[in-house]
Amino acid sequence: MRLKKANSLLITLILCVGAVVSFFPIYMAVINSFKTQGEMFASFTTLPTKLHYENYSQAFHQTHLLNSALNSTIISFIGIGGIVICSALAGYKLSRTQGKLSGAIFFLFVASMLVPFHSIMIPLTRMAKDLSVQGSTYGLALIYIGLGVNMAIFLYHGFVKSIPRELEESAQMDGCNEFQTFFRIIFPLLLPITVTIAILDFLWIWNDFLLPLLMLTDVNHYTLILSTNMLFGEYNKDWSLILAALVLTSIPVILIYAFFQKFIMEGIAEGAVKG
Amino acid sequence: MPFKIYKKYVMLLAFTAPALIFYAIFLLIPTISGMYYSFTDWNGLNPNYSFIGLGNFVESLKEDPDFLNSLWFTLKYVLVMIVLQNVLALALAVLIESRTRTKGFFRTIFFMPNMISTIISAFMWTFVFSSVLPQIAEKTTIAFLGQSWLGDPKVSFFSIIIVSLWNGVGYMMIIYLAALQGVPQSLKEAAIIDGANAFQTLRSVTMPMITHAITICFFLTLNGAFKVYEVVYGLTGGGPGRSTQVITMNIYEEAFSNNFRYGYASAKSVILFAIVLIFTLIQLRVMKKREVEA
Repeated sequence: MRLKKANSLLITLILCVGAVVSFFPIYMAVINSFKTQGEMFASFTTLPTKLHYENYSQAFHQTHLLNSALNSTIISFIGIGGIVICSALAGYKLSRTQGKLSGAIFFLFVASMLVPFHSIMIPLTRMAKDLSVQGSTYGLALIYIGLGVNMAIFLYHGFVKSIPRELEESAQMDGCNEFQTFFRIIFPLLLPITVTIAILDFLWIWNDFLLPLLMLTDVNHYTLILSTNMLFGEYNKDWSLILAALVLTSIPVILIYAFFQKFIMEGIAEGAVKG
Repeated sequence: MPFKIYKKYVMLLAFTAPALIFYAIFLLIPTISGMYYSFTDWNGLNPNYSFIGLGNFVESLKEDPDFLNSLWFTLKYVLVMIVLQNVLALALAVLIESRTRTKGFFRTIFFMPNMISTIISAFMWTFVFSSVLPQIAEKTTIAFLGQSWLGDPKVSFFSIIIVSLWNGVGYMMIIYLAALQGVPQSLKEAAIIDGANAFQTLRSVTMPMITHAITICFFLTLNGAFKVYEVVYGLTGGGPGRSTQVITMNIYEEAFSNNFRYGYASAKSVILFAIVLIFTLIQLRVMKKREVEA
């Protein structure tokens, strides 16, 4: 019994050390974002003697924070909405239809999940230029739909199998056409997987860096991540300002995490099992 | 009867059309046209370009030391990540799972870094590596902490690994935790009654029961690690020199910042795609064999 107690103490100790390491960079970023440069170079590890909010107000203005956060929100909102609607329709029908064509379309979507983004970024940039969606917030959102549907279709395809066919048959008996059946009966039943997809796609789109970097040229259209990146380049050594910007940029996702923690964890597990 | 079959196809296309249109424009056509460009000497602007066969592929694999170095660096990174990320994630999951009361707390703490954008994580760690650790080293005279974390290629490889792990372990940990919860308690108890210790139970009962999760996590790590870009961009920018340049960076540089050799960069993209595909297929084939049904 004593051995067991020692064991359990050791496990707790290991986990605590891990937790400290895990939390260290975030803690450093937060406490130092409230210091002046001079205070920082005296000691990074001590708590600030006085909270310097001016770093935050400066970062807030330099990153055009509200504007970039708005851009990120618009892109995520349209992107997720488009992915969810397009993929729910396709995933549902592909799951319910037998046959070669259906199988071929499904295979096309699933196989493309292996294509690395970096392998298509060059022709994608060309395509965006040719369609003149480059440089536009809305254009970027459309690209996210194109890149996101394959994974979402895969998840919907698997989930639909758990919904009994009798439900749609009785709806059609009652005179619903196929689209009415889908939107009134099926789509509401897909809610659990829709939440999963929405959260995973939100984290992807909101946190994405390279695609916005390639597509957006005008500072006014920048996403939050892109604005922070630009700030990092410009004020390379001014850590008090940069850190405040990093903390500000991370606040939305941390809030989302706090609210939707349960769904995020379930979503990851769900996505992995289906994948 | 023929009308019914016809209707089935119309409905199938009607439901899949919205997804297919976006998918075709932004993913399928770029994939195919990228493969086409890889056989040309196109510079991205000039409307006249010629088909040069395998020229780009031969050049990149034979006469491009920068590309080969980035390829080698990426392979090393992938290998180290597959091992460390999974060992660490599984270890954390097992430890967390064994402590019922603190489960939620530690799960939250270890997963939190995953929420933060990779590039933001890299910037945070740049601060830690370039300013915080050297200062701590100076004050405590632990010389180890004061090393050139980002300036010495040998060390910066490990700095890149550390940040990647910090960012990614939580995700894999969640998958392992979900799998561990699916292992029937009765099996573990039976093993313990039969005299197995904790380690033996883990090796002989738990591990075989979670092989599907190991397959998935290996797959995700493999796929993710080949695409590494942001961590390296944020920490070292590929430097010093090109010593920490990864393959995705090499492609980016070739196409967008150096020479605007679209055709040549496309060939490198196709090589990346082929490598990811081959590694993934091998991995899935090898690991699928080892899975057991619960």
